[in-house]
Amino acid sequence: MADAKDLMARYCDGDASAFRELYAQVAPRLLGYLVKMARSRAVADDLLQQTFMKVHRARAAYVRGADPVPWIYSIAHRTFLDEARRVKRAVVRVAETDDLPEQQADLHGEAADRRDEPRADPELVKATLDALAELPAQQREAVVLTKLDGKSVAEAAEIAGTTVGAMKVRAHRGYEALRKLLGRTAAAPPPPAKAAGGKS
Amino acid sequence: MSETGLPAMPLPSPSGLSAELEAELGKLAPVQTRRPLRQLAILVAVSLIYGASLLFFLTMRKDMDELPMYWLAAVAVGWLFGFLVPCYFALVPRKGTMTPRLRLAGVAVVVASIFFVSLGLIVHPMSPTLSQNYGWERFGRGHTCLELGLASALVPVVVGAIFLRGALPVGSRWVAAALGAGGGCMGGLVLHLHCNIADGFHVGLIHGGVVVVSALLSAAIVPRATEPR
Repeated sequence: MADAKDLMARYCDGDASAFRELYAQVAPRLLGYLVKMARSRAVADDLLQQTFMKVHRARAAYVRGADPVPWIYSIAHRTFLDEARRVKRAVVRVAETDDLPEQQADLHGEAADRRDEPRADPELVKATLDALAELPAQQREAVVLTKLDGKSVAEAAEIAGTTVGAMKVRAHRGYEALRKLLGRTAAAPPPPAKAAGGKS
Repeated sequence: MSETGLPAMPLPSPSGLSAELEAELGKLAPVQTRRPLRQLAILVAVSLIYGASLLFFLTMRKDMDELPMYWLAAVAVGWLFGFLVPCYFALVPRKGTMTPRLRLAGVAVVVASIFFVSLGLIVHPMSPTLSQNYGWERFGRGHTCLELGLASALVPVVVGAIFLRGALPVGSRWVAAALGAGGGCMGGLVLHLHCNIADGFHVGLIHGGVVVVSALLSAAIVPRATEPR
């Protein structure tokens, strides 16, 4: 698989197939990030297209030899924030389970690009996405980038346009809040007898 | 489960490219990519030529011969340094990355603003005959220096904004402020070599204030050009 730097350089030289290859490489990860941020597949799809259109218009800003992926993530991040502001809501609300990310599955029902990974419990995935939606946007972004997308703190800070220290704090707070929320979800609903006993 | 204890999320499959993007790709042409160091060199050269032209038309300060040469030279080098450093952080990213050094750009803005205001307030030698002393009473009359300083800052800021067009999805305000502070220092240099009003209030708050005002104006306006659309 070609390097994102080479693909971006070839694309800037006028090679459209390099752009398609770059899209194929980056778009799934980026869409995953946007779905977790926006909690809507439809919104995330739209943001993804907007992101790549912005990348296309701003391709002359590319610095040869640089990794374009953090920059593309930053554009996606900014596009998400602008969209969230545009609809005057910090969190874009979504419908129910229909909006869980779609995935290409093989005959065994496993995602095409995650066949080697252990399958996630769908209930746990949904609970995590629900809990993520309750976090403030900055903490959600920090958790998604550092804990779910596997980016380093430095990469996440570059994407969000903040300092490494601030990103560490956001990720830590977000992760702690997420753990509490998931713990609460796992504990609920409390047994009626125990709840009644607690009041007496 | 991932290492963090959170579930591994399935990667969604993106849809194909939009019709609009396909149409754009159909007419794809090569573009000249950004070369930060070259852009910095152009920005510095154009700004210095512009500053020198302004000085040529405005004339050098009348009290120059009566002021200590070491002070004139040291402060001029200081202004020049104040022009170069924020512009460098605003334009040149770390190797292997595309985003300029936002944190350092921010630090450069704050340091330049505080340093040049303080320096002007504290150190401001006057010639006994040719320097003017406006003092606090006539402080307001120094507004033409502010205007001249901002006019000098215009070229570095505009050139920097053109070079960074569409390049900054995040952190554009800090980068814009750094361009503004750099331009403000260019303005400060022009004023240092032109203006013979030498009291501390004028030199500190007007000449040094150009850095602050220019950074603020730039941070308010320039991101419209530097954010991808």
